[in-house]
Amino acid sequence: VKPLFEQDHYEVLEVPRDTGPDGIERAYRLILSTYGEDSLATYSMVHGADSAAIRERVETAYRVLSDAESRRSYDSSLGGGRPSPDLEFDETPEISMEPPKVSSEPFDDLDEAGDYDGARLRRARLRRGVDLDEIARRTKVGSNYLTYLEDERFAELPPRVYVRGFVMAFAACIGLDAVSVAESYMRRYDAERPRQRRRFYRGT
Amino acid sequence: VRRQAIAIPVGGGKGGVGKTFLVANLATALARAGYRVVAADVDLEGANLHTCVGVPDPGPSLADFVARRSTDIRELLVDTPIPNLRILAATHGSFGAPQPRQAERVRLMRQLRELDADFVLVDLGAGTHPAVVDYFMIGEAGIVVITPEPTSIENAYSFLRAAFYRRLELAMLSHQVREVVALAMDERNERGIRTPLDLLREVRALDPEEGARFVETMRAFRPRLVVNEARTAEDVKLGFSVRSVCRKFFGIEAEYLGYVNHDEAARRSVRSRRPVVESNPGSDAAIYLERVARKLVAGLGRPDPRADGAS
Repeated sequence: VKPLFEQDHYEVLEVPRDTGPDGIERAYRLILSTYGEDSLATYSMVHGADSAAIRERVETAYRVLSDAESRRSYDSSLGGGRPSPDLEFDETPEISMEPPKVSSEPFDDLDEAGDYDGARLRRARLRRGVDLDEIARRTKVGSNYLTYLEDERFAELPPRVYVRGFVMAFAACIGLDAVSVAESYMRRYDAERPRQRRRFYRGT
Repeated sequence: VRRQAIAIPVGGGKGGVGKTFLVANLATALARAGYRVVAADVDLEGANLHTCVGVPDPGPSLADFVARRSTDIRELLVDTPIPNLRILAATHGSFGAPQPRQAERVRLMRQLRELDADFVLVDLGAGTHPAVVDYFMIGEAGIVVITPEPTSIENAYSFLRAAFYRRLELAMLSHQVREVVALAMDERNERGIRTPLDLLREVRALDPEEGARFVETMRAFRPRLVVNEARTAEDVKLGFSVRSVCRKFFGIEAEYLGYVNHDEAARRSVRSRRPVVESNPGSDAAIYLERVARKLVAGLGRPDPRADGAS
């Protein structure tokens, strides 16, 4: 138990010492949003100069740990003294009522069975902490279409071939297997699509 | 040999964040998984847990315990439509019914822990008054419910701080140290003690042995966080952020149990007075709630009831 300003770089980013570059990157982004200017979680806890100081500590930690060279020399300066802090950054692995099944992948949603419907896509996305806007930015698929994918408003979507492409891009963007997700989603699309008509008129 | 029940208090400081909703659904999820569960409502003023689990008029309730019509809460448990789930309701029968006094709270908590059940979930009222916060000491696995809004987050920090300080007050032996703890409970104290880490510094300076006990108490305190009414990825991350604040400023290791998304199915379930995990298990909210329940159980190391055998 140490105050923030006595913490080492790993403790600042809240990662164990053997965290890989991806983990460092993820932890950095999370901490940055936690201690950002208008963060919901911290505005009542830290103010003005303090929050700037924290951000600076975070930036320094990230600068040192994200570069292999500087991280190595920092590690040797820490010495072998204390083992890595017993904190885990990752969302705890998925667990079932049956014997706990452990997965090392953060934000994993392998516990769900069945087809990838819109709601499951949304759950998978939220679990990875990704907003639709971010997917839209990265995939160049309009965020309204992404919304329709999740809401299964098939009639609002362009022809089938595009839908499949959208799903693949969406899935890949959140780290799912694009081909199998698309296959699963399109099964549902094919079953449901004929039942949905584009409605030009409300009511009867 | 019967094990003690695992008591899980559910609080959060602010009213309307979904404490009762969560208690009703977690209790139902655990009962459906085969555990024997009691859900207890200790909020005599805003009590309505019984409604959420489909018991319109519970009859006996905590009010009978407070009014000394019964001294044994086992007599006050009521069955629910959900197999394996019983409740201790808290109806507000008479206006101005008193909240239990501290000695009664202590007795109540002891009796709750001794119930013949696997889990006892305790639905706390709102606020950070000792009459509320003390119930958080009933078990180590207390859950704090937050929603993604400033008022909820602020109250959650106040709640955690109050819960931790009350616990500390009981753990500290020296009179002098206890006085400093009492002082720190006032958030605007003149010594500038804002967080448990500030307080630890003071306590260490006064008495290193008490400092060691302080750290022990800190380590044992592992609140669980649940974000309710999550709508965006930002909301989902909030649990991690609050956990980070607990760690960096309070020195407290919280566990992020998970989140429950904003779902119309959940709203409808409340209106139909049935837990959503039972009435609409395929809904988004139910899937998230089941996930929280599984994670809660896994962290508590209670074996699968179905693997237990008939012994």
